[in-house]
Amino acid sequence: MKASIIGSGLGGLLTAAKLSKAGFEVDVFERLPFIGGRFANLPYKGFQLSTGALHMIPHGSRGPLAQMLSEVGANVKIIDSKPMAMIRKENDEIIDFGDFRNELPITKKVKLGTILAYSLKFKPESNISFRDWTLKYFDDDFLLRLADSFCGWALSLRAKDVPAREVLETIGNMYRYKGSGVPVGGCGAVTGALADIIRSNGGRLHTRSHVDRIIIEKEKAVGVSVNGKEKYADLVISNSGHAQTCKLYDCKDKDYLEKIKAVRPSKGIKICVSADEPLIGHSGVYFTPYTERINGINEVTHSDPNLAPAGKHLVMSHQAVISDDIRREIDLGLSDLKRMFPHKKYEILLVQSYSNGWPVNRAASGKDIGNRTPVSDLYIVGDGAKGKGGIEVEGVSLGVRNVVREIGIA
Amino acid sequence: MKVSMDCVGCGQCAAYCPYDAIMVFGRAVMNDKCIECGTCIDYCPISAISGD
Ligand SMILES: Cc1cc2nc3c(=O)[nH]c(=O)nc-3n(C[C@H](O)[C@H](O)[C@H](O)COP(=O)(O)OP(=O)(O)OC[C@H]3O[C@@H](n4cnc5c(N)ncnc54)[C@H](O)[C@@H]3O)c2cc1C
Ligand code: SF4
Ligand code: SF4
Repeated sequence: MKASIIGSGLGGLLTAAKLSKAGFEVDVFERLPFIGGRFANLPYKGFQLSTGALHMIPHGSRGPLAQMLSEVGANVKIIDSKPMAMIRKENDEIIDFGDFRNELPITKKVKLGTILAYSLKFKPESNISFRDWTLKYFDDDFLLRLADSFCGWALSLRAKDVPAREVLETIGNMYRYKGSGVPVGGCGAVTGALADIIRSNGGRLHTRSHVDRIIIEKEKAVGVSVNGKEKYADLVISNSGHAQTCKLYDCKDKDYLEKIKAVRPSKGIKICVSADEPLIGHSGVYFTPYTERINGINEVTHSDPNLAPAGKHLVMSHQAVISDDIRREIDLGLSDLKRMFPHKKYEILLVQSYSNGWPVNRAASGKDIGNRTPVSDLYIVGDGAKGKGGIEVEGVSLGVRNVVREIGIA
Repeated sequence: MKVSMDCVGCGQCAAYCPYDAIMVFGRAVMNDKCIECGTCIDYCPISAISGD
């Protein structure tokens, strides 16, 4: 059996690794000169920045991605962050994420415990947003800000723009898998290890290879056209999301096209900083609920010092984009950093923003429409088709799991 | 070099420009260090750069 995979992002590579391991003859076509999509290293001034990700694996060494990497035999060392996350309070004091309930008056604290336990079991079925859901039980400024900081960091959205059930699903997964970790070598080490596995299974990776068309015969995908040349296959997997993929063939399914229209990508800004001394002092998440824009920061060099030149730290902040004025959004992020670290020595390396065709998430949380398409033997993987409740690369892995199960190789 | 309105400001071109000729702040702008070598064109994930 032959499989053609469009795109070498994490979703494409995970699928290719699974399929090649199961005996498929696999070709991965990537239009860029390098592999990994938004999960690749971007060498810059001696630092290992990234094309997208903050070098973080949300559920660390025990999550869905880690599990899949070990199944396919990809050799990646993931260092779980300790502490997992801290919160910077209004008075600039830092507390452990696990202790945030202690910030509440005792009655609210007890109520939060009960409501969270209940809601994790019985998730709200309506489309109530996480902000409204929080407000329903607690009128508390700290909790609302923390909700925004959490959703901004994890989903690049404001709490008012995410369904509560999605966030609760994410919180449930945090309890189940624990969180987060940093792969040694950065996110590029993950996609690099997958590429090695695919090659050792006999698969082929082609860079500078743009898929301009999916070949369909009798409602069935039978191959792709790459830089104008037709290549036939039994199965086509696209890593470029539903909206991009349906432009590669003549899609006539109106319901599907309508559904795609409703999918909105999420926008974000990452500020990459070189610091002469640690700004936060650990590689876990540093949530910042009391800023204008920045939702959180990490400092991955505590897990892997080689991501920066000797003696330097790589610090990255993330913020959801709130207005259409991107320059103002960036300025607000930069002022947040100035206010938070007034006496530290650091330098801005690169400001990276993401939206539309190259977003933080192709399908904003709660808007996913699954992995199938109207065409048989054509599936979508990647962050435009994540598995339920899985954030970022964990969701990408759960989506890939769904697809390989459908193909019948589990 | 021309950068189209599609540019999202991801900075990928800036990192791969051999002449440090691209500044990115919400979107990419080339400065006069650019020698029009064309390297950046291939590295843009959404083909926002063209060579004229
Ligand atoms: C600022 C930012 C921070 C993030 N931080 C994190 C984080 O810390 N942890 C985390 O887990 N996630 C993070 N994410 C999200 C994570 O990067 C993405 O979810 C993940 O990389 C998406 O992978 P994907 O499989 O969808 O593929 P993509 O990365 O979208 O790759 C798709 C590939 O397909 C190629 N392609 C598309 N169309 C074609 C075609 N027609 N022909 C050939 N090739 C094609 C593209 O060039 C691309 O290389 C972050 C994202 C951003 C932007
Ligand atoms: S054409 Fe060459 S020199 Fe000019 S900005 Fe692009 S990569 Fe840099
Ligand atoms: S690589 Fe493309 S999208 Fe990214 S900043 Fe450069 S021109 Fe803009």
